[in-house]
Amino acid sequence: MTERKEQLEEFAEERASLMKITMGPLIWAIHFVICYGLAAVTCAKGWDIEMARAGLLVFSVGSLGAIVWVGWNSWRQWNPHETGDYFNSWGRAEDRHHFLGHAAFLLAIISFLGVVFTSLPLVMLGGCQ
Amino acid sequence: MTDHRQDRSALPKPSGTYPPTEEMLAEPVPDEVQAAQAERLRAAWATPKGFRYWTAVNNSEVGKWYCLTALIFMLLAGVMALLIRAQLAVPESELVSADRFNQLFTMHGSAMMFLFAVPMFEAISILLLPGMLGARDMPFPRLSAFGYWCFLIGGVFVIGSIFFDAAPRAGWFMYPPLATEDEGPGSDIWLLGLSFIEVASIAAAVELIVGTLKCRPPGMRVNIMPLYAWYVMVVGGMILFAFPPLIAGDFLFELERSFDWPFFDPERGGDPMLWQHLFWIFGHPEVYIVFLPSIAIAAMIIPTVARRPIVGYSWIVLSAVGTGFLSFGLWVHHMFTTGLPTISLGFFSAASEAVVIPTGVQIFAFLATLMVGRVKMTLPMLWIAGALAIFTMGGLTGVMLALAPFDFQAHDTYFVVAHLHYTLFGGMVFPVIAGVYYFFPFIQKKQLSERLGRWAFWLIFCGFNLTFLPMHLTGLWGMPRRIYTYPTGLGWDGLNLISTVGAFVIAAGFAIFVWDLIRPKHRQPQIKRNPWEAGTLEWTHDVPEEAWGIRSIPHVASRYPLWDQPEMQARIDTGRYYLPDAAEGRRETLVTSVIDAEPIQVQRVTGPAWITQAAAAFTGGAFIFPTFHWYPPAIVCAVLAVCCIIYWLWTSTARVPEAPSKDAGLGLTLPTYASGHASVGWWAMWITMLGDATAFASLVFGFFFYWTSQDDFPPEGAMHAEPWLVGLAALGLAVAWALTVGARELNRRWMVGAARTCLAVAPLAAAGGAAALMVSVLELEPETHVYPAVLWALAIWVTVHAGAGVIMQLYCLAGSVFGKLTPRYDADIWNVSLYWHFQVLAALVTCAVMGLAPGVL
Repeated sequence: MTERKEQLEEFAEERASLMKITMGPLIWAIHFVICYGLAAVTCAKGWDIEMARAGLLVFSVGSLGAIVWVGWNSWRQWNPHETGDYFNSWGRAEDRHHFLGHAAFLLAIISFLGVVFTSLPLVMLGGCQ
Repeated sequence: MTDHRQDRSALPKPSGTYPPTEEMLAEPVPDEVQAAQAERLRAAWATPKGFRYWTAVNNSEVGKWYCLTALIFMLLAGVMALLIRAQLAVPESELVSADRFNQLFTMHGSAMMFLFAVPMFEAISILLLPGMLGARDMPFPRLSAFGYWCFLIGGVFVIGSIFFDAAPRAGWFMYPPLATEDEGPGSDIWLLGLSFIEVASIAAAVELIVGTLKCRPPGMRVNIMPLYAWYVMVVGGMILFAFPPLIAGDFLFELERSFDWPFFDPERGGDPMLWQHLFWIFGHPEVYIVFLPSIAIAAMIIPTVARRPIVGYSWIVLSAVGTGFLSFGLWVHHMFTTGLPTISLGFFSAASEAVVIPTGVQIFAFLATLMVGRVKMTLPMLWIAGALAIFTMGGLTGVMLALAPFDFQAHDTYFVVAHLHYTLFGGMVFPVIAGVYYFFPFIQKKQLSERLGRWAFWLIFCGFNLTFLPMHLTGLWGMPRRIYTYPTGLGWDGLNLISTVGAFVIAAGFAIFVWDLIRPKHRQPQIKRNPWEAGTLEWTHDVPEEAWGIRSIPHVASRYPLWDQPEMQARIDTGRYYLPDAAEGRRETLVTSVIDAEPIQVQRVTGPAWITQAAAAFTGGAFIFPTFHWYPPAIVCAVLAVCCIIYWLWTSTARVPEAPSKDAGLGLTLPTYASGHASVGWWAMWITMLGDATAFASLVFGFFFYWTSQDDFPPEGAMHAEPWLVGLAALGLAVAWALTVGARELNRRWMVGAARTCLAVAPLAAAGGAAALMVSVLELEPETHVYPAVLWALAIWVTVHAGAGVIMQLYCLAGSVFGKLTPRYDADIWNVSLYWHFQVLAALVTCAVMGLAPGVL
């Protein structure tokens, strides 16, 4: 049983590290769905769009903060300054570890830009016309 | 407690030395041992001869049939395009009738998308992926074969309809009310035929994702797997989230067509916009599902021609994953002119512009690789260069169209036609042809002609630009899509004639390409094994061909093993690496861990069989007969399909092995059986259910969509589902779930009798729950309004799934009684309980919506 448990734990760790690279894009996706969903319902039901806009802008700032946090963590996992290796192109365990950090870091950048893009209509566009 | 725990852990662990030491790898294998091993492998993997050839399930055979079938469908759809262009060559032409024209453009789009682009991705991946991963085969060969036969039957049915003047004719996106009100079977053929093919696509996605995650060679950690595998994984994931909304949409649409349930009829509370949403939630990611795997081919070719590793491997991974996500935030840009609120348009416009960033990143990574490498301008590279040029132009018009005000002007004009053909030719057709030239020596062990290839390229490239470049202008000058003719004097005449000439030039190029593919090549001398001097594993293939996939499965330590590990080829050939033998005469491949590819199991894979064809044929019947409202034969077919699938699973999956572990070579002993998270079957179930849950979520989305789009939903004074029956249904299905999970745990603990009792009672609880759910809506009249109709649809969905769950429970019960499922070998019950985790969630959500929504909304 203990071996089984160990195996499960190892497995969980494995799965987590692949899931981790999608953290940034997932935050983007949640942000996008909530922006679109809330705006659509607000317009359809005639709720106060200004309130919704303000709320969503606060939510955007929060999402950006979360992505920065993901990015910072993955930067530390990548750790190119200390290892001096920017490419991690070999098949050692530490290469895999740094690589997943690198990929997560780049995805955090793209997700950050994605959230900024999605938030632009909140700033620049009026309401429901 | 301790006894059974020990016994549980008696499923053996991998043991021995890993990773292999250099001394072990350097030790030669005696010649007579090599010869005997090769003989046994050859026998185990032999392709059936004669008529039985068609029972083959090997990825190399199924992949070839798949590619050829998709190619034939593409050529047929191409001929339709030529007819369309011929009709439009001159104004007021009478070459084809308006009705025939509608069928032609509908079928051209549908066939190119559903019968060519997506299946071609699956076909190429099934063909190439095991080679790139040094695997003997995909983890579920019969599933690939099943998918292929489904595709063939469904494709012939759909495309054949045009020969009977019965083809769908409402455009490839089948907008209601045009498509719902259309008389004749056209729309039904589209809905049922293509739903059937979507099922095959999801099967392929499951196969490819599990193959990439679990069948890599030892040592191939995620950071060194071929970029193609990254793309396959991303695209497989996208299929799981993109296709199910369309399947849910098809389900509602067909209920409206067959039984007049008003999901898209505004007069009875329905809303045609729901279809548009569901279609484009599928339709836009689908463009990237087509594009990414094709550009993945470029990611394999470019390092080879530049003779250096790719520049920015991580950047390309970022690009693939990032594009995969962002592509789900674009769908409303197909609906900019439907009157949605400005702010909603803004979100989708912004996301449509944002997706340019990851898409651009990968193109710059390719260009950087070419710049720093020593480029050899081979024929595949010529096609890739053409692809990049054309795709970039399509991307630029995409940036224009993503701006809502521009789209308002250009919507539904030939500008859009030009844009989409630039993206799809540049993003899909050209890279795929590049891939055909590049991989042909791997696939057929022959070379294609350099001279014919260059002719084909220049004809298609010039013809393409001649056809589609003028269309931008035709569109801007106001010519709408999908009109079968036009009056003279609007300035469109000359442009249309040029486009038509160009279309025939493209056709000439394709004729040369196809001739090059099919011309006899017996007299060609034997090719070099690695003709392009590439660095990835597929080029360790055997010339002349051997059916075993790879002689022995290597230990990989870099991204381009053939460049970095020069002794690898010889070691593979002499059987120095893993699984060099088929001692029991069975087909086997290696299963490794998800992230680090450590060997964990020797997986038995299935061999040739007729049962997959029978299962596909009956599944086809179950989808095709309803097109003509012949329900009794459809039901008979569905029952027979289920019987075939049960027989197939029972006789060849998760069998109790003859020995719990075996020698995998290089001093490593691996288990021959796995259950739960460690097994490939569990992963396949998990992935399938993710897709299924997405389809269910789309139905629930539909319910809430009606709530937002209408002022009174549920309508005043409407009848609701009977609350106490809904509660009873939730209880029954939850009990069925609990008993299934309980049976798994009891079985593990050697309480076999108690486990069987659970498995015997669980189906009763499930059936009772499902019956209560159906009775709760029985009084409602689904034809009268969309509210009762959507409750019915949810109830049917849950009931059908509960039915499948009951079959699975009984399957496990039978397995337990007949010794297929034991406390130690219990993969089936793990998979079934995973199924029920998803089902109980769907059931509880449904009951919450049906029981609580009337009070809350």
